[in-house]
Amino acid sequence: MKRLADNVLGLLVVCLSAATIAFLVTPLLIATVMSFDSRDFLGAFPPPSLSLQWYVGFFSDASYLKGLQVSLILALAATALSSLIGVAAAFTLDRYTFPGKDTLSAFFLSPLVVPHVIIGFSLLLFFSAIGVFDGWVRLIGGHLIITVPYVIRTTLASLVGIRKSLTEAALILGATERRSFWKVTVPLAKTGIAAGAVFAFAYSMDDVSVSLFLTGPDFYTLPVAMTTAMRSEFDLRIAAAAVCLIVLTIALIWVLDRVVGLDKVIGQGVYHK
Amino acid sequence: MKLTRGAALVLGLVVVVYGALMLYPLLRVFEDSFREFIPGRIGSAANAPFTVANYTDLLHPAYVSYFWDTFRIGLISSFLGVLLAFPIAYFVARRRSDWLRRTTIGFLITLMFLSVLVRVYAIELSFGPVGFASEIARLFGETSGSRFYIEFMIVLGLLHYAVPMSALVLIGAIQNVNPRLIEAAQSLGAARWKSHLAVSVPLCARGLLSAFLVSFTLSISAFIVPMVLGRGKVMFVSNLIYNRFSELANFPSGSAVAVVMLVISLVVIYIVSRLTSGDWERAVR
Repeated sequence: MKRLADNVLGLLVVCLSAATIAFLVTPLLIATVMSFDSRDFLGAFPPPSLSLQWYVGFFSDASYLKGLQVSLILALAATALSSLIGVAAAFTLDRYTFPGKDTLSAFFLSPLVVPHVIIGFSLLLFFSAIGVFDGWVRLIGGHLIITVPYVIRTTLASLVGIRKSLTEAALILGATERRSFWKVTVPLAKTGIAAGAVFAFAYSMDDVSVSLFLTGPDFYTLPVAMTTAMRSEFDLRIAAAAVCLIVLTIALIWVLDRVVGLDKVIGQGVYHK
Repeated sequence: MKLTRGAALVLGLVVVVYGALMLYPLLRVFEDSFREFIPGRIGSAANAPFTVANYTDLLHPAYVSYFWDTFRIGLISSFLGVLLAFPIAYFVARRRSDWLRRTTIGFLITLMFLSVLVRVYAIELSFGPVGFASEIARLFGETSGSRFYIEFMIVLGLLHYAVPMSALVLIGAIQNVNPRLIEAAQSLGAARWKSHLAVSVPLCARGLLSAFLVSFTLSISAFIVPMVLGRGKVMFVSNLIYNRFSELANFPSGSAVAVVMLVISLVVIYIVSRLTSGDWERAVR
């Protein structure tokens, strides 16, 4: 009786897990297949035959291309700037001791807990009040405040892992402060910095909640253009764009795996040594 | 090392950036929320009279229902998310480092990184009116445009993030439970399901709670999922803020909603951090 209940329940759990995984994957597969649909209207799944027309449509649409261009430049600029600010802040926080240090670290990480809609809304009020109407300034400001905390966090995490004895060894062996910093600390913190940069790029590239408030009818990012299209026409060029974003995400995860190792993000736990 | 002048300058500059891009704008929102609404401008007028009307308006049943919807749907999806993630997390956590474990973790992280637009579009395409929605809706005895079905779609949209996120949090929690304990329970004669309920689940309680609360925080501040999948029929608090900007241009009212939403999120996050002390930061990574 016990065995039977166990087997039935076990089977049930396996089925439930399989259904969950299927739920996570199937919509993405359907979107991918539909992006190759040869019909020129949005019909039922599956498509009768395949073509590349939606990709051609996406890459020849001036408004999508403009959004893509803005998004890429913005993501690169935001990544560069937030890496600079974030790394400088994290190194300074790690290296020096002063009263109120913990409060300052918490403050530097605090944008992570403010809903993005509120950040976007408050920046809209702020930029309008001080008379900043330039799209680039607004967007870089908005993307900076949501990406810097990620860089600070990953860099701080990698710095905490560096044993003090290593820098001390360099100092004892005659290196100057500066030399031990550049030759020991920076190389050891490299993975944290790189992970932070990958995070910053991904979050800037995907952001809609903040950008939606800071863009206008003739200056927008790709996700904003996609959102607008989704609310009006909902055609399959969005599927083509979505497939491009999926490919980009997989590429970023691959980079993250190369740089940090995905298993390290989770750890193996204490009973797996 | 003691703070040098150069280091203080670096920190000072970063504080200025944060002050300009976050702290000051939030304080302005707070101030604006107490100003009277004068149509036709962005933000309140500098000399608009002070009022609490923007807050008292929110007590109207119509507004309360937006908050209620946000919490109810957020609660359902985070609960389901943890429930569905647990067996997957258990499976991964109990495996040594092999290709299956690495693939599953890679898969879960990729899903977390995926743009919310991709999720929303894929779900709309699969479960929406053009997908197999009509058949699924009929299972519930509904049409694909009914309010129930729209809420169901929003739950799916939120689950698409909540499940991988909860699974990753739970993998960390389960890995730190000694596998011998469950073996002991089973060799002493407990049924497998009973041993899990009596041993694994209580020992992972903190992990389960933290996964639930992180999902809940992210669900109640969701914006794109209810905006696209809700089709204007179901709105979250965040959509209310956006509407105040895009359709009504009533900024003082939007500010009041934003202040209330921020306070609620911060309270939930405070509870999370008290319960998990630092787990949250690792969890949202």
